[in-house]
Amino acid sequence: MGPARLAILFGMLHASNLGKRYGRRWLFRGLEFELGVGDRLAIVGRNGAGKSTLLKVIAGLIPPSEGKVKLKSEDPRRSLGYSALDMSLYPSLTVEEHLELTGELRECPARIEELLEFVGLSYALRQPASELSTGMKARLKLAIALQGEPDVLLLDEPGAGLDEVGRELIEKIVNEQSQRGAIVLATNDPLERRFATHELEIAG
Amino acid sequence: MNRRIKAVLRKEFRSEMRTKNGLATTTLFGVFTVITISMATFDLKISPQLASGLLSVSLLFAAIVALPRTMIVEEEQGTGDLLRLVAKPEDVFWGKALYNLFFMLVTGIILTVLFLGFTGTPLAKPWLYGVCLLGSCCAFTGAVTLCGALVAQASNRTALVGVLSVPLLLPLTFLAVSGLRVAFDMKGGFNVTNGVIAGFGLVCYGFASLAGGPYLFSAVWKR
Repeated sequence: MGPARLAILFGMLHASNLGKRYGRRWLFRGLEFELGVGDRLAIVGRNGAGKSTLLKVIAGLIPPSEGKVKLKSEDPRRSLGYSALDMSLYPSLTVEEHLELTGELRECPARIEELLEFVGLSYALRQPASELSTGMKARLKLAIALQGEPDVLLLDEPGAGLDEVGRELIEKIVNEQSQRGAIVLATNDPLERRFATHELEIAG
Repeated sequence: MNRRIKAVLRKEFRSEMRTKNGLATTTLFGVFTVITISMATFDLKISPQLASGLLSVSLLFAAIVALPRTMIVEEEQGTGDLLRLVAKPEDVFWGKALYNLFFMLVTGIILTVLFLGFTGTPLAKPWLYGVCLLGSCCAFTGAVTLCGALVAQASNRTALVGVLSVPLLLPLTFLAVSGLRVAFDMKGGFNVTNGVIAGFGLVCYGFASLAGGPYLFSAVWKR
């Protein structure tokens, strides 16, 4: 067995020769990295550089223009958690119904009470998403991202819209995720950059 | 039906029951269509040909107006990404297609009751009418759900779905007219076998489009 195969076996996430372009402009190209348990990668760069795009490519929401992303698990529904400010929730569904839906679709325990207590949203159990504040929505998205106990957690500007307590929650999530798998943060926040073990700057 | 499909189906019902967007649009469309037809033909006896054409067109437009919404709304409200992250494409297709089928059947029954009640048109062969209505609902659902999925990520999606639906739905409309005019025919002027073949054709088209749907949908559901 060659070293490349070994890397896929032991790493949680492996990106090889990853590139994305819009028209003739490359946002990033030739990215190579591998993340294992405990790795915390911060993706930094100016606004519009392509940080969120890279996260979406890793999550499989956008196809790469070249290269590929491999996850340790074959099924990304549970092994990958993703939370971003621009990801929408169903306005008419309640907080509880969101977690019930995602749990059933992922085929994993919904853990509604446990997750909502963890993210500090237990009081809004029966509140529809349309009535949630930006910070409450961010907490619900974090709960959804954590539901499958993912190998890789992708957080796009995780602190945006959160108060001081919310920012402490991010630190807690990062620390807990490090025990279980890898974490990728797209951020320019100096406080969030502190969590990272590695940094990747995208020039755009 | 597995739990994942049930979850998508439940989500669709919950969203619809709380917003009533599709229900309101289709019910208003159905009521206005039937009232307009009954006013226009107030002093006329509607022939089987005209009755079958009017009902088929009403069903067709109800399908085009309401069914693609289930797919398009995911992109419009930005929830498509959430669904892509946690669901298998075939579960999304089946959940939405079953919801659309239920919706289409309810619309078909409402249109039938209103049409027969307002225009006083007699139904000669209710069993054939039932087969054609079921077949039409299955076929329209399969075709329009796929069209909705195909155009959901396009920028001009609402206009595009109508254009894309025409070649898929036109043969269905012919079949529906052929079957329904026999169902409405009281004098025995049309060959019953042709009506049965048309009804059977609709059912087959419906099953074929619903059976093949998940495979096509898997290819178009990704960005």
